[in-house]
Amino acid sequence: MRIDPANPVAPTNIVRRFGMDQVPDHVPPELVRQAGIIYSPEFLADPYKFFAGMHEKFPPIFYDVGPFGNAWVLTKHEDALFALRHAEYFSNEDATPFPRDPEDYFYFIPIEVDPPEHRKYRNIVDPIVSPQGVLKLEERIRALANELIDDIIDKGECEFDEAFGRPLPVLVFLDLMGLPRDMCDTFVSWAMALLHSNDRAIMGQTLKTIGDYLKTAIADKKANPDDGLVSRIVHAEIDGKPISEKEAFGFATFLFIAGLDTVFATLNNMWLWLARNPERRQEIIDNPENINAQVEELLRVFSVTFSGRTVAQDIEMHGVQLKKGDKITSILPACNFDPDVFPNPTEVNFHRPKKIILAFTVGVHSCMGAHLARLEIKIALQEWLKRIPDFKVKPGAETIYRPGGVIGPESVPLVW
Amino acid sequence: MPAVTYIEFNGTSHVVDVAEGENVMRGALNNDLPGIVGECGGGLACATCHCYVDDAWVAKAGTTTSQDERDMLESTSAPVKASSRLSCQIIMTAELDGLVVHLPEHQY
Repeated sequence: MRIDPANPVAPTNIVRRFGMDQVPDHVPPELVRQAGIIYSPEFLADPYKFFAGMHEKFPPIFYDVGPFGNAWVLTKHEDALFALRHAEYFSNEDATPFPRDPEDYFYFIPIEVDPPEHRKYRNIVDPIVSPQGVLKLEERIRALANELIDDIIDKGECEFDEAFGRPLPVLVFLDLMGLPRDMCDTFVSWAMALLHSNDRAIMGQTLKTIGDYLKTAIADKKANPDDGLVSRIVHAEIDGKPISEKEAFGFATFLFIAGLDTVFATLNNMWLWLARNPERRQEIIDNPENINAQVEELLRVFSVTFSGRTVAQDIEMHGVQLKKGDKITSILPACNFDPDVFPNPTEVNFHRPKKIILAFTVGVHSCMGAHLARLEIKIALQEWLKRIPDFKVKPGAETIYRPGGVIGPESVPLVW
Repeated sequence: MPAVTYIEFNGTSHVVDVAEGENVMRGALNNDLPGIVGECGGGLACATCHCYVDDAWVAKAGTTTSQDERDMLESTSAPVKASSRLSCQIIMTAELDGLVVHLPEHQY
């Protein structure tokens, strides 16, 4: 697939299938399941138990039928690596679930752009989001973490998600983008509607709202350049020519969607676990030199999202025929519980041999925010555990998981 | 600026300038060279910037610098040799001007 990112055209050959009436003929009936990923009561009761259990409950590849779209599902680590690394079979065309206006179409950049063009866009932002680039943010993130803790430490309790889990990554992200902090709550409400409403009409309307806002922001950065990512994109050149409006818009929109919810959900998952596992918390405190491995292991067991692709040419996997146009989803959190790669997969073990984890996917479209996410999680663990080493979930509180494409609890009320 | 020679598996050689402080993986990506993927961007998380340091440079650049690098080298798809490095972990210095690295047949 070759697209021209400067001149976007809505794809006309994409078929989205929903429900049992729309299972294609080439799908063997014995591989059809209604797994209920992201919405069934069983899933929402304990998503991570569900992900780990998928290896026993389902074949390594099956055809999942549901109200949000039918798709092949991959749960094996090896299969996800293959799918994510072979764009010639598994294309990013129409691979995101966000509905765009066909009359005013744009591509999500860089996720929908294949190599070699893909690298031109990544080169614009890589100096900022590389491991060395994000280190420049370390002091600011550490200061922000401490300011947030200052606000709650004497109260002896907090709604972790609102007091820390959300503001830490979102405010860092808005600073990085060059967008105003005082819009934080509004942005988060848009992200919630887009990612968790499970309603395509609401998603479409929200994407339009976000787009209208970003068009204004882009015009502002054009006139008043700064060192944020939006400005950097707006003033970038592609092949020696100024980036087009459509490219800048698609790039800024994609970053906006990607940056608001994922670390938030990740921190909520991790703090719920920390609150319930005092000995493991102490282990982290007692082994500060092992922090990078601790972050990586927690990312393995609390990966929050999925990676969708469209089959670009017929291919057989595990003896199963996939046809061009089929949708396929790598269940990243399940892949990280693959017992063939991670023995005793649900055990949190900070001394595992380092392996490729799928929290951020792999392949050329591997998450560009991964190093920022790792740094934020590391700092959050260090600063929080230094000042609030002993805490638990508020007695009587019930943990309810938010339905949708980013996995995490609705709230994490803590006391100490 | 120090220069690095990247020799593809098929023998094709590319000489590019890589700034001091920059890593050898980025040097390849910035110049659109084939043979290095670097999918994680230098986070010691993917093992797709594998290279073999040329015999003449092993003393200066052939030694891994962390346990994470040694662990990730176990995840490469091409065979690991004594001279194997993850190129994102080779940071350019004036001393490495003229460095030669050989690229494996595949990165995954």
